[in-house]
Amino acid sequence: MDIGFSAEEMRFREQCRDWLHANIPAEIRPLDAADAIDFDKHWQRQLFDAGWAGINWPTDYGGRGLSIVQQVIWLEEYAKAHAPWIGANFVGINHGGPTLILNASEEQKAFHLPQILKGEAIWCQGFSEPGAGSDLAGIQTRGRIDGDELVINGSKIWTSFAHVADWQELVLRTEDGSRRHAGLSWVICDMHAPGITIRPIRKMSGQTEFAEVFYDDVRIPLNNVVGGLGNGWKVAMSTLSFERGTGFIADQVKQSEEISELISKARANGMINNDHIADQLAQMRAEVAALRAMTYRNISEVVRTGQPGPEASIIRLFTAELGQRLERMAVLLLGEVILDFAYGDDNAVHDYLRGFASTIAGGTAQIQRDIIGERLLGLPKSR
Amino acid sequence: MDLTPDEDQMALQTATNDWCRAHMPLAEARSRPEGLWPQLEMMGWVGMTAPAMDLDHPTEALVFAELGRFLAPVALLSSAVAARWTKFDGKVALALAGTDNIRLFDSHNATHALGLFDANIGSVNIDADCETRRSLDLSTSIAHLQSNPPVETINDPRAGLHLQLLVAAFSVGCADAARDMAADYATLRQQYDRPIGWFQSLKHICSDMAVRAAVARSQLYYAACALQAGESDAAFHVTAAKRLADQAALDNGRANIQVHGGIGMTDEASPHLCLKRAHLLQFLAPAESRILLADSP
Repeated sequence: MDIGFSAEEMRFREQCRDWLHANIPAEIRPLDAADAIDFDKHWQRQLFDAGWAGINWPTDYGGRGLSIVQQVIWLEEYAKAHAPWIGANFVGINHGGPTLILNASEEQKAFHLPQILKGEAIWCQGFSEPGAGSDLAGIQTRGRIDGDELVINGSKIWTSFAHVADWQELVLRTEDGSRRHAGLSWVICDMHAPGITIRPIRKMSGQTEFAEVFYDDVRIPLNNVVGGLGNGWKVAMSTLSFERGTGFIADQVKQSEEISELISKARANGMINNDHIADQLAQMRAEVAALRAMTYRNISEVVRTGQPGPEASIIRLFTAELGQRLERMAVLLLGEVILDFAYGDDNAVHDYLRGFASTIAGGTAQIQRDIIGERLLGLPKSR
Repeated sequence: MDLTPDEDQMALQTATNDWCRAHMPLAEARSRPEGLWPQLEMMGWVGMTAPAMDLDHPTEALVFAELGRFLAPVALLSSAVAARWTKFDGKVALALAGTDNIRLFDSHNATHALGLFDANIGSVNIDADCETRRSLDLSTSIAHLQSNPPVETINDPRAGLHLQLLVAAFSVGCADAARDMAADYATLRQQYDRPIGWFQSLKHICSDMAVRAAVARSQLYYAACALQAGESDAAFHVTAAKRLADQAALDNGRANIQVHGGIGMTDEASPHLCLKRAHLLQFLAPAESRILLADSP
């Protein structure tokens, strides 16, 4: 075991740092998805042109074909440099793209992956429904086969970036009378197709980022099914372990910057003299370090075996809850200043309100605990 | 960068675990036989940290976490640091310096004791007529040195970090043991015609135990590597590892008792052994918040 990086990796780290230092936009990324879309697309294109998009994606589809360790180094330097969040490109880069790489046909990959990397195509996720949240297998949105097309009816909700997206990873029921995990398919849905209505939803932070999506006889070619009809659950799950393991590195590095800033602030305003606050800060400093160690362990596991270890779900849960505790501490240190918050402010209060998502989106903390108990500890399945 | 054990390390881990399971079961930690220590010496776990053995800290941490999982004698900690940093070999008792006395653990048949004295590792002679009795941690005897014996100190901060790292490894093992005991019981014990681990209220207690153990173990590995490489922030990482490992051992120790219900409160069941061990370990080379809050760790 060792924590050192090779000479080549260290050179790569320097290149990342130098480029970021010279190219990070001076402009602040707007909060609302609709206002930020031009910014997001432009920044992604800039990343692509300089060779920083898809560092460990296959070269055939516009990636660089480098190692996952180099991808991690890039993300570490990205967060350290306070580079802007990739925003609307998040789903394509972190979820849709990796799912296509693992499951899609050559034709699908060749068409979509380069567009994702260049920021030309924005993706959104269509998993949750009003009646299928934690119980995702309760999906009711239906796709009826009509010739070489699917005719889609139903609705999805909590779809981030739906109103600015071009494509959607849509999981829906394609077999009549099928139940639960069977009879689902993972489909590339054209968000500009006739019959789609999008109703953006404002969050309690004031930000309008996610939306409800309605499908009314939307026609999508059968060719857009990924991984075969009826295999939707398998395809959807194939990238969940990825998301749970390495999809959160930028967040983690950001947390290590944040805890240092919080300690400085607490020292400056004297609140560090409160033993309870000092103890929490010390605790979180240790936990942030441990989170990085846990991520390194997980990456090492990927390098060694090609797969993230079963502890990836622990990383996911721990990152989310630690992030929320950091956000709570930031607000605590602000004191009554939080009462001055107004919709549109981009500050610690906004992050605190927005951060409630991290233990809800992509599987609630409670579902994550079920998974840890059942898959890691072998406890009986409750559902 | 690689934070997973390699094949040799995994083999050593497995061998340690197998031996402990067969010869040093956790349940017997309530009363360890006198013959155990000579066996530990024979197996090489007492002298393995001697400079001539050239064992790296990550491998040590892995082995000590396995030993800690079976609540191995705490004199292994002091003896390991003594073998690396002093002229003593063989059994060295563990010393815990308080404000007005020194507590000695596992002092049977030992002529010296080692522990932290202020910030440094130091050793003292043990009086032949030192009176011993059972400690809170039933696996070890405790004795109080009332006099102020001369302390021979080692002026190298790495010695103190070495002890802190090994204690953290013991705590990680202790946290693992409590987690596994709880998960096993939650699978076996039936109420309402099903295993209690079926209920989310119990399942989630166990999941949180798994999270704490994984967090602590990850930081232990990182700290061991940082100490091995002589990194400038090694003290920070070892301190963080000790804090998280202590917490995991204590919190898992308590949670394990809750999962066991009534039987968990008894002397005959094993959960209290883990909790009591965790309480002993928390006082050994404790993690200082000052180091965790420093400007540039």
